[in-house]
Amino acid sequence: MRTALAWLLLPAALLADDLPRQASEILRTNCLQCHGAVQMAKLDLRSRETMLKGGERGAALVPGDPNRSLLYRFAAHFDKPAMPPGGKLQDWEITVLRNWINTGAPLDGKVDGEDDRAALAKLEDRPITDEERRFWAFQPVGRPEPPRVRDGDRARNPIDAFLLHAMEERGLTPSPEADRRTLVRRAYLDVTGLPPSPEEVEAFVNDRSAGAWEKLVDGLLASPHYGERWARHWLDVVRYADSGGFEYDRDWPNAYRYRDYIVRSLNQDKPFDRFIREQIAGDEIAPGSHDALIATGFLRFGPEANIKSEQTRMDELDDILSTTANTFLGMTVGCARCHDHKFDPIAQKDYYRMQAVFFPSKAVDALLVDAEEIARHKEANARVDAAIEPFKKQRAEIEKPYRERILDAKKAKLPNYIQAALRTPPEQRTEGQELNARQVEKTLSVSEEELTQAWTLDDAAAIGEIARAIAELEKTRPAPLPAAMAVAEDGPRPRNSYFLHRGSPDQKGSAMQPGVLSVLAREEWAFPEAQKAAASSLRRKAFAGWLASPDNPLPARVKVNRLWQHHFGEGIVRTPNNFGKTGDKPSHPELLDWLASEFVSRGWSLKQMHRLMLTSRAYRMASDDIAANAAKDPDNRLLWRMPRRRIEAEGLRDAMLAVAGNLDRTVGGPAVHPYIDPSLFQGSSKRTWEGKPVDDPSTWRRSLYVFSKRSIPLPMLEVFDKPDSIGSCARRNRSTIPTQALALMNNEFSLYEAEKFAARLRKDAGTDPGRQAERAFLLAFARPPAAAERAAAVEFIRSSDDGLADFCLALFNSNEFAYLP
Amino acid sequence: MTHGRFPRFCSRRELLWRCGAGVAGVALAHLMSRERLLAAPARTDTPSPLAPRDPHFPATAKAVISIFCYGGVSQVDTFDPKPELLRRQGEAMKGKGEVVVSQGHPGGLMPSPWEFRKYGQCGMDVSSLFPHVGGMVDDIAFVRSMYARSNDHAPALFEMNTGSVLPGHPSMGSWVTYGLGTENQNLPAFIVFTDPRGGPIGGAPNWGNGYMPAAYQGTQFRSMGDPIVDLKPPEGMSPARQRRMLDYLARLNEVHRRRNPEDTELSARIASYELAYRMQTHALDAVGVESESAATKKLYGLDEPVTEYFGRQCLMARRLVERGVRFVQLYSGGGNFQASWDAHWDIEENHGLHARETDQPIAGLLRDLKSRGLLDSTLVLWHGEFGRMPISQRMTGRDHNPYGFTVWMAGGGVKGGTVVGATDEYGYRAEENRKSVHDLHATMLHLLGMDHEKLTWFHNGRNMRLTDVHGVVMKEILR
Repeated sequence: MRTALAWLLLPAALLADDLPRQASEILRTNCLQCHGAVQMAKLDLRSRETMLKGGERGAALVPGDPNRSLLYRFAAHFDKPAMPPGGKLQDWEITVLRNWINTGAPLDGKVDGEDDRAALAKLEDRPITDEERRFWAFQPVGRPEPPRVRDGDRARNPIDAFLLHAMEERGLTPSPEADRRTLVRRAYLDVTGLPPSPEEVEAFVNDRSAGAWEKLVDGLLASPHYGERWARHWLDVVRYADSGGFEYDRDWPNAYRYRDYIVRSLNQDKPFDRFIREQIAGDEIAPGSHDALIATGFLRFGPEANIKSEQTRMDELDDILSTTANTFLGMTVGCARCHDHKFDPIAQKDYYRMQAVFFPSKAVDALLVDAEEIARHKEANARVDAAIEPFKKQRAEIEKPYRERILDAKKAKLPNYIQAALRTPPEQRTEGQELNARQVEKTLSVSEEELTQAWTLDDAAAIGEIARAIAELEKTRPAPLPAAMAVAEDGPRPRNSYFLHRGSPDQKGSAMQPGVLSVLAREEWAFPEAQKAAASSLRRKAFAGWLASPDNPLPARVKVNRLWQHHFGEGIVRTPNNFGKTGDKPSHPELLDWLASEFVSRGWSLKQMHRLMLTSRAYRMASDDIAANAAKDPDNRLLWRMPRRRIEAEGLRDAMLAVAGNLDRTVGGPAVHPYIDPSLFQGSSKRTWEGKPVDDPSTWRRSLYVFSKRSIPLPMLEVFDKPDSIGSCARRNRSTIPTQALALMNNEFSLYEAEKFAARLRKDAGTDPGRQAERAFLLAFARPPAAAERAAAVEFIRSSDDGLADFCLALFNSNEFAYLP
Repeated sequence: MTHGRFPRFCSRRELLWRCGAGVAGVALAHLMSRERLLAAPARTDTPSPLAPRDPHFPATAKAVISIFCYGGVSQVDTFDPKPELLRRQGEAMKGKGEVVVSQGHPGGLMPSPWEFRKYGQCGMDVSSLFPHVGGMVDDIAFVRSMYARSNDHAPALFEMNTGSVLPGHPSMGSWVTYGLGTENQNLPAFIVFTDPRGGPIGGAPNWGNGYMPAAYQGTQFRSMGDPIVDLKPPEGMSPARQRRMLDYLARLNEVHRRRNPEDTELSARIASYELAYRMQTHALDAVGVESESAATKKLYGLDEPVTEYFGRQCLMARRLVERGVRFVQLYSGGGNFQASWDAHWDIEENHGLHARETDQPIAGLLRDLKSRGLLDSTLVLWHGEFGRMPISQRMTGRDHNPYGFTVWMAGGGVKGGTVVGATDEYGYRAEENRKSVHDLHATMLHLLGMDHEKLTWFHNGRNMRLTDVHGVVMKEILR
């Protein structure tokens, strides 16, 4: 203001002298915070030279021409990005800038701000306010008493009490219990991901004992298929894949060990706090355990860049950090990579303190055998190498004259100016000639093909002999040792990692010490120094300790919410990866806390939490609509009925195999490759898929075991919204599109399975279409057909020679088959 | 448009997360009832994810054809002449700081093996690689000052297709179909043709829906045989037999639906089978270029082996756009090495081949669209994932160059005969009026009537955009 008044009163002639000082002042107070030491957009406005040089968008300053000076154009809001971001400069300031540029933009020395380091450090701090700490998700987990409800009989367990209480307040009536056939199909598909056999259906339907349902639930939770089904949910969240994505999309032949580790851990009911610690820091908490090493694969499944640079390393760390926060904290920290989180109290500094936790870790293939065996393996390989060596030498000698001749011929065809460069003696070459000569020397090469075409008959025979000998020796190589995708560190004292302004490795700020989310920890979480002899910094161990601490309110809440989501269709918080401000508010906050506290007090047992939910009355409600309820709560937010749910991509494929009777129920092992039409990926040598035909029994495995190649998704799964496994996916999309129908009607797999299903019906039920239809309905829908349905089925089966197979195909395509009741 | 098309939901945040998953994909029922495909009227409170939608403001373009010259096209050999390269042939490129190459050993400056001459009323310089396209320059706006962020194929492809160098984001075709839906429900809204020599590096994520529902993913079409995988049942399943199966399926589903009458998703799924059934004939018809006149086929080069393949794709693209398809992407070049535009070894052989394959078909497409009055409403984008170096690699090739390259746009409200921006004297770095890929995307959306800052999808805690937090519309090329 002071300047403005002064300026208005002063004659223009005087002003010109003052312009440099004024412009300098405007730049210092409005621009240097970002375009000083920090150099956002690579722009540094601290000197005339650096202004002329400009940043990512080009020169900031063209002396004498404000209209071509980006500095002016952005400040005047002629172009975007309008600057400064906080609000437009005052008109007089913009005028000063224009006049200053018009007069040639003279500047005395530098536009200096505060001391750079101090300015940086100030930029990096972002205190958390008490109000921010009061947000519901950051509160300690409470232990609410289950409320008293009027209709006490309906409350089988505390879950029902919480749900009923909310319904009573809104005048909603819970749905009646679903019939037994519905229940048994629901439970099988939900807990194991596979439909019940007719015998299993009947066993439950006819079990009139008091604990029949509990018995069913316990049996299902004890099934190895429980682990498979719930591993799939977990793998979505941790963006699991069997290949690296990006340019080469390299296969990861050992990735499956992590998948199997998850299945195993779930089936063993490994306590969830242990599960967290193993995946974040398995190598640090249990260095001798294979499972703990395999578990750290969690940190490895991000996309794998082709070119390694500091930038791509930062991208990898961002993937690790984002996935870790999504998975265990239900927080979106990725936003804080470039600036303080816009919605949640997550400082950019928190991001880089947490990044410092993972910064020292590096990818390793950890061999899952003892040191002795590694030594033996190495030795055996060395023996083979030594035996091959003389043959290689022999071959090189035969090749030598050929190579020289071909190279000379190639040189003679090079452009004249390059040949001239080659002819010029090295000491007389110009810089350009030197570059070109070096390029010829380094890159002119002879291919195998060119050599092959040049051999004389004798030499061709000799080379052939050598190649055969080498091939024979290669066969004696020992098989590769089993390995796990894991992480390791280079020792107890890692290199410094830094706060990166604007997320850019070129804009390093202060060195960072490891830390946790400050909004959740009033006091600094301790990261004890590792002993001198330690293999790693133990930062991840300390961080995992914080994640798995009962005082951290998020991991338990987030995990029970995920269980709830899959059992009841929607989470209590419907954004399972985002418990922040932009996420959903819990529909039943007290229930969520009760479940979280129960989880911890039951020793983080997942199976006990499943059991609690499955044995609630709520889980056994029918899914039918009730008009009076729908009027008050159309979205079923208060869970007055069981929502009907679409079976996911994998579940649909698995159910077809199971119903057709050719599902291979083997648990675990390397992934399988079902057929994919080559037109979808052919031609690229870097991306291959050796698909097996539909009648190859190796492909009759559950979809969990289908090789998950990032660049070549299995169309049958992709079209049904299987996530791309590039980022964490907590909640799948659910599309309804005609290409899904095309896949289910026309894909060879569908027809093959329909034929198998038909063959099974003939075997199980003989040739009578009525009995075939009955058996088919029991297999596919867990119920017998009604009389009219039976009649329609019989009519259709009889209508043509292919009637039975087409009938089976129709069942696979039906809505009843595709939905969890 | 922040999922604002789902009227039943109350608060903005409420619908943000809801549509982030699940509900967006729900119902074609609305559409189907309009087309009287359902016997009983279905509840219609959830519109189809692909129902046609109004843009934010009046659009000049309704559809997009993206011609992706995969591997990276050299700007200095096509549309950005640099006489300095001949004058300084073999000299070191100086004054540009450290020259960053993706591989190998940088050589000296290498002149273009092709001559440039002026075309059209605008007098645009085009090399002898593209004489047919040269004939259309008065309809084309060239952007000579593009830059990209990666000199590696996969990230650069992802950037050009999704705005991000990292995979996992929806592609531009997904954004456009999310924003506008499609005009023809009997065909996929977003169609991709890859080169017969192979798809681009990175694969499906290049036309993937990222975190959006599968409704917005690109569908791969083949230009020979059946256009879509699984379009037709395998041998043995006749159309009549399939029809019978579908009729029985409809009966099965009807019983089920009567038990759950309130569920629009069930109705939508029933409808999708009828759509699929019709797609089988419509898709075949859409790619049935045999029915075109001899003159049209010739225009696209279908009569010459070298141009036949890409010509078919261009002609199919026109037929698809004509039928209301929203976004078509054609890849020229595929697989590795010389099979794509990735001319590391021999620019003359490589670009010579790929330009011969595409020049006449592309010009034919522009002419054909124009003569049918479709060019005004169809935006044609021509681009690679980056450009190439003015210096030599392996003596006669050129390395990747994301620092400066050319793309062009035609039709759909683009001001023809325009040149935007400039590279330095060697064509190495974009210098004047620099344009990012975000700027290109912002411009494309603008021509389609959408504000790139308002077309958002809520994901992982924030409103995501095709242009992230960047992008400035290139006003210079608007008519």
